[in-house]
Amino acid sequence: MKDNQGKKLTRRDAVAWLLRGGTAAVIAGIVAKVSARPSGDRLVWQIDPRKCIQCGRCETACVLQHTAVRCVHGIEMCGYCKLCFGYFKPDAPRLDEAAENQICPTGALVRKFVEPPYFEYVVDKELCTGCGLCVKGCTNFGNGSLYLQVCHDICVNCNTCRISEVCPSGAFVQVPESEAYLLKEKLPRT
Amino acid sequence: MAALAPLCALASSRFPQPQFDSGYVAEKVAYPMPSFVVTPMMDVLLLVAALCVAVFLVRQVRSRRWILFFGMVCLGWFGFVRQGCFCPIGTIQNVALALFSGVRLPLAIALFFAAPLIFALFYGRVFCSVVCPLGALQEFFIVKPLHVPRALDAVLRVIPLIVLTVGVVCAINGAGFIICRTDPFVGLFRQSAALPMLLTGMGVLLVGTVVARPYCRYFCPYGVLLEICSRISWKQVELTPKECINCRLCVGMCPIDAIDAPRTALSDRVRGRQFRQFLSLLVFLPLIILGGAGVGYLAGAGVAQLHPGVSLVSKWQGATEADEDLFPEIEAFKHVGGTLTQAEAQALEIIDRFQKGCMISGVFIGLILGLRLLVLSKLQGSQVHQANRYRCVACGRCFAVCPNQ
Repeated sequence: MKDNQGKKLTRRDAVAWLLRGGTAAVIAGIVAKVSARPSGDRLVWQIDPRKCIQCGRCETACVLQHTAVRCVHGIEMCGYCKLCFGYFKPDAPRLDEAAENQICPTGALVRKFVEPPYFEYVVDKELCTGCGLCVKGCTNFGNGSLYLQVCHDICVNCNTCRISEVCPSGAFVQVPESEAYLLKEKLPRT
Repeated sequence: MAALAPLCALASSRFPQPQFDSGYVAEKVAYPMPSFVVTPMMDVLLLVAALCVAVFLVRQVRSRRWILFFGMVCLGWFGFVRQGCFCPIGTIQNVALALFSGVRLPLAIALFFAAPLIFALFYGRVFCSVVCPLGALQEFFIVKPLHVPRALDAVLRVIPLIVLTVGVVCAINGAGFIICRTDPFVGLFRQSAALPMLLTGMGVLLVGTVVARPYCRYFCPYGVLLEICSRISWKQVELTPKECINCRLCVGMCPIDAIDAPRTALSDRVRGRQFRQFLSLLVFLPLIILGGAGVGYLAGAGVAQLHPGVSLVSKWQGATEADEDLFPEIEAFKHVGGTLTQAEAQALEIIDRFQKGCMISGVFIGLILGLRLLVLSKLQGSQVHQANRYRCVACGRCFAVCPNQ
């Protein structure tokens, strides 16, 4: 190639430039075809609580050691029950805050007395492991006010979400960044 | 409990919300919004800027030290700050999915895919040198690189082709992003991952101490595309700005055997033999491609097991009535009213798509392998040592040892 510098274009060079131009055109064509989505909004991962079956894989499948999925409490749907199916084990010996009565393996669901006969339930996000045991109880026997969501201060927003690949019910969806949560109390019921 | 569930599921609010007398008001819960370090277009700009700096370092500065230093910067930014996602390697799947499904991508992702390829068309694989965080990380772990025998190298270099095509087939047909899943280092970048991923990452780095850049050379699917582009690149890495004296120092230094020895002028007899070899290979090329297609078709059913819809059926067929509760997939499929027969019909359709996809993949692999063989019998060669266009990743070791800088 060096010898050709300063000389006029050889046939070899011309073919090479044609090939280069062609390849560049193909790449540009691909970019033009796949891009230009109307909104430039970034997509983030979220759980559709209407599809979730609480299989428990969110707890273990996330690429982060402590998963980005947490239980959230749609307090507007909560019945403030004294006997909470998301809080107490089905065979709980007594209905108090002792650890042996709780479903939550990490004590992340905190129960506080409000007024007779009502109790408030709050999720401690630091402790929650996203296992969904409380969600299962609340969804099956209660109001369904506890549900799982991807917390966006923790989620690293992988190109493809590892949990979404193992989610059995296809509950993992990509939503626009501006509406990053699918809050059950605000979703239309299906 | 399970029997009660469907009954209860009908009622959306079984217990009415109470009216409080004590003036209790529920605390508002905060939902933190996603925070990104930079905007997507900024990301692309930084990538292009990094590529420009890499070209400048490789072509103008020609200093191994500066290249290494810039590698640290890129590893820090693209690896540990940006946490490795998304990267051009993974965007292969986004682009493939968008091409075939019609779902549009943000322009930034498409540009992330295209920028290193365009640079490769002009300057070779400068992206691999230090801009790619995976390459930069492995670069720092090369201790005593061994020579990989040519035959073994040729066989191992088939793996990236398989990874690329299987990755694309899986992405298009909804079996997830295999290429992302097999990224060994992303867990190290995030400093948080499942144990197998961390162990694989460390294993690859350990192997990388004696076999330089094992991921880049024998796994990276993006490397296949870069290889195609860099074979016809405008410029290539120049071992010396002056005249090569064929001292062979760079050959010993190159960790990835990417320096071609000079060719002595071929005798007419050898030229004739080479030419006949070329012609017979040309005749065999369609056979190689056909063979690739056949192998691909046969492998299709196996590859389809990566699809959740197909693995569901395998699990379901093997499960007894009592076992079915153990698989959430089966539960979820039943939950929406699906039956085994429906799942089987779906799976057959998916397997059919995979077989077609893998057949096309086989054609592609066969074509590339055939072309690689054809190129072996080329007649022209350089009189001096030269960096191999498509293997060289511009790490700059040869600059450091060349006595004629």
